[in-house]
Amino acid sequence: MEIDFNASNKNLWKEIYDNEDLHHCFNCGTCITGCPASHGNPPLLVRNLARMVILGLEEELLDDPTPWSCTSCTRCEEMCPMDVKPFELILAIRKWQSASDPTYIPTAVVDIYNRGYSQPVGVNTELRDKLGLPELPTITNQPEKLKLFREMLMKTPVISENDYMFMGDE
Amino acid sequence: MDLCFFPGCNMPAIRPDAESAIRHTMPALGVNLTNPDGYVCCPAFGSFPATDTESQFATSGWNLSLAEEQGLDIMVQCGSCYSSLHMGLEHLHEDKELRAKINELLKPTGREVNCTSKVRHVTDILYNEVGPEKIAENIKHKLDGVHGIVQYPCHTLFPSEVVGFEESPRRPVALRKLTEALGATVDSYSLEYQCCGGAGGFSKTSPAEADAFTKTKLDAIINETKAEFIVVSCITCLMYMDGIQQKLNKQAGEDIYNIPVFDYNQLLALCMGFDGHKVAAISKIPRESILRRF
Repeated sequence: MEIDFNASNKNLWKEIYDNEDLHHCFNCGTCITGCPASHGNPPLLVRNLARMVILGLEEELLDDPTPWSCTSCTRCEEMCPMDVKPFELILAIRKWQSASDPTYIPTAVVDIYNRGYSQPVGVNTELRDKLGLPELPTITNQPEKLKLFREMLMKTPVISENDYMFMGDE
Repeated sequence: MDLCFFPGCNMPAIRPDAESAIRHTMPALGVNLTNPDGYVCCPAFGSFPATDTESQFATSGWNLSLAEEQGLDIMVQCGSCYSSLHMGLEHLHEDKELRAKINELLKPTGREVNCTSKVRHVTDILYNEVGPEKIAENIKHKLDGVHGIVQYPCHTLFPSEVVGFEESPRRPVALRKLTEALGATVDSYSLEYQCCGGAGGFSKTSPAEADAFTKTKLDAIINETKAEFIVVSCITCLMYMDGIQQKLNKQAGEDIYNIPVFDYNQLLALCMGFDGHKVAAISKIPRESILRRF
């Protein structure tokens, strides 16, 4: 694929990750070495993502699913010699992709909106009892608190701009 | 000491026996645990941290405020919760503008975040507050002659300036020393510091490659050590290192991988004399080879 650099969005980095340190990336590849998801198919190549952001390759980046295969181990952030904070960059790219194309929005956010967690916490009372565990003060079991939590989230961009996704369990 | 114990979601929902181990062992070692009343998702990196800044840090702020109102630091076992709560605390502490914006969102809920509570990992508490010596003094059964390996949770190591409690994140020792305090011999091997591969999207987006990644680690454990158990201190490491052995066995059509996996507090609880049916009841790979010693 031929890339037209003249047509690229030179301010993309400001939209995605407004951090001057990003420009200190010198392509060393330390972020890839030791990255579990660099073994993926397609591989997560953090250095390449940094390049795409710096060069403003908007279309290519929007179609790139690899930021979502990150394990969040954060080894890249520890090892990066130029303090680019590659894991923060990955989360920033995910945020930009979710805002640009709602199909990227993970379904876990709907679960968290509905019941406070991605997992069904606090419903396994019989098992917990058998293991000698107390009842957990979950938000799921406290409707008043859950209502306040939802009202707070309703004011945040992901929910206010995509509210149709969050209306199922009212 | 008193700490506000943030249980996360996987532990109470899927592996409550590990939660039971923590709730039994910590108070017996002088660490009293309180509950964050009405806590929510940490938030997991695959949720609000992947959508927008406001929902991410409002959710972190909600959780942090629950410990702050108790005047206590937070204790976490789950690596992802530990890392995400730390990221929330770090950003809200450093960026006053962000904190003001998040407090505006929190205000109608009656909450406020002031970044006064620290976020600490259970390994940090056990190693730096309780200490291996006190643990050795408080156990009834020892794992003398039993070999094991430790799986360090990545989220407790990196980035060390934010989450670290080890002298060197490249050569962590806490989990090893804590396991040795139980009398066990901890073997070293070439892939000791490699991620379990279980967190985040990797195992979902590239299942075959993720299986191969962790298989390499398990093969190194089998070929290079005498490990009879794997000890972890992160709910994802626990569920993943256990579950993938069963998955690989099914793929191979034979039982190749049979190393029982324990959360550290589960081994500790067993050594302290607590009932295995309560503190180590749930696993994919049978734990009898270790449990029968108690």
